[in-house]
This record gives sequence, structure tokens and C-alpha cells, in this order.
Amino acid sequence: MAGAETATYDLGFAKWVAGNISGADKLSMCMQCGMCSGSCPIGTQMDHGPRKLIMMIRAGMRDAVLSANTLWNCTQCYNCTVRCPRGIPVTEILQGLATVAVAEGHAGGEPTARFSEAFWWSLAKFGRTDERLVTSRFYFSAGLAEGVRKSRENLAIALRMIKARRMHLGAPHKIKRRKNLQAILAKAREIEARGAGEGD
Amino acid sequence: MAAQGARSETILVVGGGIAGITTAVEAAEAGAEVVLVERGPSLGGRVAQLSRYFPKLCHPTCGLEINYQRIRGNRRLRVITMATVAAVTGDRGAYTARIETRPRHVTARCTGCGDCARASQTRVPNPYNYDLDTVPAAHLAHPMAYPMRYVIADSVIGTPEADRIEAACRYGAVDLGEEPGAFDMVVGAVVWATGWRPYDAAKLQPYGYERHANVITNVEMERLAATTGPTLGQILRPSDAKPAKRVAMIQCAGSRDHNHLPYCSRICCLASLKHAAYLREAYADAEVDIYYIDIRAHDKLESFHARIKADPRVRFIKSKPASISENEAGDPVLHGEDTLTRDLYETAYDMVVLAIGMAPTAGDAMPEAALETDEYGFIVAAETLGGGMFSAGVAAGPLDVSLSVQSATAAALKAIQAVRGG
Ligand SMILES: Cc1cc2nc3c(=O)[nH]c(=O)nc-3n(C[C@H](O)[C@H](O)[C@H](O)COP(=O)(O)OP(=O)(O)OC[C@H]3O[C@@H](n4cnc5c(N)ncnc54)[C@H](O)[C@@H]3O)c2cc1C
Ligand code: SF4
Ligand code: SF4
Repeated sequence: MAGAETATYDLGFAKWVAGNISGADKLSMCMQCGMCSGSCPIGTQMDHGPRKLIMMIRAGMRDAVLSANTLWNCTQCYNCTVRCPRGIPVTEILQGLATVAVAEGHAGGEPTARFSEAFWWSLAKFGRTDERLVTSRFYFSAGLAEGVRKSRENLAIALRMIKARRMHLGAPHKIKRRKNLQAILAKAREIEARGAGEGD
Repeated sequence: MAAQGARSETILVVGGGIAGITTAVEAAEAGAEVVLVERGPSLGGRVAQLSRYFPKLCHPTCGLEINYQRIRGNRRLRVITMATVAAVTGDRGAYTARIETRPRHVTARCTGCGDCARASQTRVPNPYNYDLDTVPAAHLAHPMAYPMRYVIADSVIGTPEADRIEAACRYGAVDLGEEPGAFDMVVGAVVWATGWRPYDAAKLQPYGYERHANVITNVEMERLAATTGPTLGQILRPSDAKPAKRVAMIQCAGSRDHNHLPYCSRICCLASLKHAAYLREAYADAEVDIYYIDIRAHDKLESFHARIKADPRVRFIKSKPASISENEAGDPVLHGEDTLTRDLYETAYDMVVLAIGMAPTAGDAMPEAALETDEYGFIVAAETLGGGMFSAGVAAGPLDVSLSVQSATAAALKAIQAVRGG
């Protein structure tokens, strides 16, 4: 194989996905019928529908798959999963690929990826999501200028939400024994790190 | 009850469709004693409900008529209709079959004149046309009925109408007092030819079979195309009786789907190609779109596929449609992804035909007979009950008519060997 071709096509990708993404061991069952892409309520907002993404996994288009907005625009409605005639957990596989995309730095520009990061940050830190902190962290994740612009743009809404007691000022909401949550998360990370070695 | 130890060389054939008829005739012509039991009022099974047969597009009338001649000419073959084989116990060479009968209310004196039908006012659903129309309470099961004998619906028994029907018959063939019954029969071998039923289209929820008038099934399409059907052979859509000229077929509607029938029903591709031929013959400007995953025209049927494909007004779209909605004109609108172009489509048609598959009859109404089935509910010949029970036709697997007939001939031979101790 010429170098240029092996650079864009990772011929072991499908096998890697099957072995490392939860639910993806069933990917070889896909018969490319199109039921998933046709059933997706936001199919028109995706670079590639689920069926095509599966084809791209098979073709070894690693980078294109991991940087597809499909992983981030999926609303997790599970329409594709319940209708797939071959019982493939499409939604779960998209979720797993999204995790890999984050870990490998493919997801940086995706607003949904940035929002997920902000959401998780609040959850892991306080045990709760704090609307104000999640929103501002999300706005500023696109850069300082963008953060300021967005915050200004939405200031009126924020004030109305505060008035309606849908958002609060002051210390963020927290759960009681945050230490315990931290310990659980540390343990989970430890297990995950152990598991990653076994996957290969 | 059969006497203990009674033995029999009689072969019991359960189900009078093309597979059961063939098994019975072949075995009787080879010298065996045969009893053929059919639960409906007539022989013929689902084949009698087809408009025409692929691949030659001939009428089922001729195939059935030849078989009826063979039945009439054979004294070793006894036909019992309106009877269900409910249970089989015992062992090879000495089975006891429990047979339950339903009243026909018309005796063998019936000449088929039809005076009883003219005397009835009540109309009842017509299962021959998949309930797309109705028939008089006194009716013939279908024009190719065997025996050629009328049947009176239970719903009018005990009413003054029944008395009028009885009075109308000049041959004294009406028997209003006939009751349901049951009897046992000792036989040496059993061939199950219980066939299939259409998969329930209502379960394909996104296709809206129950919501959209102009979404029909392939078995209904056979009746629309048949001159003996509710539209006398004109292919009109149900909502407004407008000629259905732009028609979509959805393949694998319920087959090859782990939520429904996990197997390939094998005949639906060919049936839809045949339906395309019906439409193209009916209307010079008809356009047919066949939505498919892959077309499965097995062995010799590939040439039929090639013939239909050569017609530029029949298009093949590689896609399993995701759902069907309806526009203001009452046209069904198909939604899905064309997997070759990756375009999401939204296309309106006059009518949509769901190519539903064949589900084994035994799968839902299993007779008590220690039958062994495969994972899908098709009956396999097994060692249970002494190994003298076999299956033929669609009871054994999703087969077309010619393969059903082949399996029936094989079953006849095995049954003969079983009763002769071979
Ligand atoms: C839309 C469509 C179109 C088709 N077109 C074609 C075609 O053009 N060419 C072709 O070759 N094939 C065609 N087929 C397939 C064809 O219909 C089958 O191959 C055929 O009907 C099989 O016959 P059978 O005798 O096995 O079953 P059936 O026709 O189902 O007969 C079974 C009989 O058994 C009876 N029965 C069931 N249980 C009992 C019981 N317990 N006791 C007594 N009786 C019982 C039933 O009442 C029935 O009469 C088509 C199928 C479909 C769905
Ligand atoms: S619905 Fe299932 S089998 Fe069909 S293309 Fe999508 S994943 Fe593949
Ligand atoms: S789960 Fe995601 S990919 Fe699947 S249909 Fe819903 S939005 Fe589309």
C-alpha cells in the first residue's frame, strides 16, 4: 500500500471499534438498509447519517468518523436503535465514539462537545449542575471574546430567569458529601484505566 | 376412542393448501390410504387467493383444477373440510388424531345453484378477499371451491333469515341443526401442511397500515388484481377508488427484522415484481418504485427479476423506508434514506404496498402434538412420537409454490415409508 492511502484509511479501524466501543461488537450485523438514517429526526443536521457513518467505520475512515458532527448532533432519541432490523445499538455506539473523539482531541470545535464538558465539570465538582456556571463555562469555551459577546447577548434572559427563580446568584448548589463523590469518580477512572489495557 | 394397540396404515394430511393437496394426491396415487383434513370450507389454501402465479403469471385455477381432478378420481383419498386437527397422540403406526368439526349447515346434496345466497340478506366479512368486502350469509367460499358446496355463516343461525335460506333450497341441502363436533381417528403417519398467515401489518407501526387507507399489504394487492376480488380486477386505491398508478412497494416489511420475523420470507421480492407486472399491464402510464434492501430472486426466478428490471417505468430504490405519513390529498408519503445517493427522500404515491412475509400457522395456533419446530416456528420432522410425523409446504419453511410441491412429494414418500415400516 502506498503511504498516502494508509494515512487516510486505517484498515484496522472497524476491528478496533468492534473491540473497544460498547455495543459495537454487533456492527458487523449492519446490512446498510438505511432505516436508522431515515428515522433520525435530525438527520438533515448531520454530516453523515448513522448508516453512512457505519459504512465509513468499515472503510477505515478513522479521522472523518471521529470528527463527524453526527456524534454530537445525535439527540439520543433512540429511534434508530428501536427500529434497526438487526438489533444494533446505534445510539450507544455513537455515544462511545463521541467519548473517543473527546479523548483524541477531535471534538474541540463542536458546541455540543463543549457543552458536555461544561456540564460534566459542574457535575463532577459540585455533584449538581449549576445553570449559571455551566452556561458561562460553555460560552467562554469558545474564547474570551465570544464568551463576553454571548454573555451580553443573553443577559436579559438571565435576569428574567433569576427573577423567576430559575437561576440563582451566590454560591453554587452542592451535594452534601462531595468527598464521597470524588472518591467514586477516582475509583471509576482507575477501573477505566485498567480496562483500557485489556481491550487490545 | 381407539382400541389399545390398534394400528393403521392411513396417512393423515393436515391442511388442504397446495402442499397438503399434493401430499395427499401423491400418497394416494402411490397406493396409500389418505385422509386430508382442512379447517376451512374449501381446499386451496392461500394459493386460491392469488391472482396469478410467478414466474409465468398463469392463473392458480388451472393448477388447482388439475389437482381437484386427481382427488375426484381417487377412491383412497378422503377429504374432510371445516375440520381442525386439534391434537395428535400415540406412536408411529398408531396415532390417535383428535378432529374438531364446525358446522357448514349445508349437506352433500348441495348442487351449488346459489338459491340460498339469493335468499340471504345479511352480509358477512369475506375472508377470501381478506375482509376487503362482504358476502351473503349463505355463500361459496370462493369460485374455485372444493367441495363445490355452499356454507351458511353461524351468525344467522336461529334467525328467521335462516329459515328463509332453508326454504329457498330446492334440494333440501340446508341443515340448520348441525352442531360443532369432534371425533378421534387412528392413523399411521401424519403430514403437517398447515401453511402460513400473512404477518400482521399493524405491528409495523411507523408504516401506519391502520392509519392510512392507501397503505395495503401484498396479499390485499393479490385480491385487488384478481377478477374474483372486491374490485373485479381493477387496481383501485381504497380511499377514493381512484386508479393506483404511482405505487411504491416496501420490501422486507416485517421480514429479516429482529423486531418482527427474523428470517427472509423468500417470496415477497418475487411477489412485488409480480405486482409491478400487474400494474404495468393494467395502466400504460403506471409507475412503480420498489424499495429494497437487496432483491432476492432465488435460482430460476432471476430471469423474472431481469425482465421486470428492464422496464424503465419500474424503479428500484435501495432503501428500507423509515416511515409513512399522509398528505392532504390522502396520498401516502414515504420517508427514508436512499442509501446509494444518501439523499433523504419524502415521496408521495397513490398507494403503498407492504411486502409482508409469511408467518407459520403453527407458530400461533399450535396443535397439541409434541411437534418440534425450529426457532421461527416452522415444523421440522422429528423423532418425537415415534418419528412418523412430517411437514410440507410453508408449514416446513418459507417456500414458493413449486418448492412447496417438491417438499410435499418428499413428505408423501416419507409418510408411505413410515406406515409401511420402511
Ligand atoms: C403476496 C404473496 C404472493 C405470492 N405469490 C406467489 C406466486 O406468485 N407464486 C408462488 O409460487 N408462490 C407465491 N406465494 C407463496 C405461496 O402462497 C405459498 O407457497 C403457498 O401458499 C404454500 O402453500 P401451503 O399449502 O404450504 O400453505 P397454505 O396455502 O397456507 O395452506 C395451508 C392450509 O392448511 C389449513 N390448516 C392450517 N392449520 C390447520 C389445522 N390445524 N387443521 C386443518 N387445517 C389446517 C389452512 O386453512 C390452509 O388451507 C405468494 C405469497 C404471498 C404472501
Ligand atoms: S438500521 Fe441497523 S442494519 Fe439498517 S443501516 Fe442502520 S444500523 Fe445498519
Ligand atoms: S438516537 Fe441519535 S442517531 Fe439515532 S435516531 Fe435519535 S438522534 Fe438520530
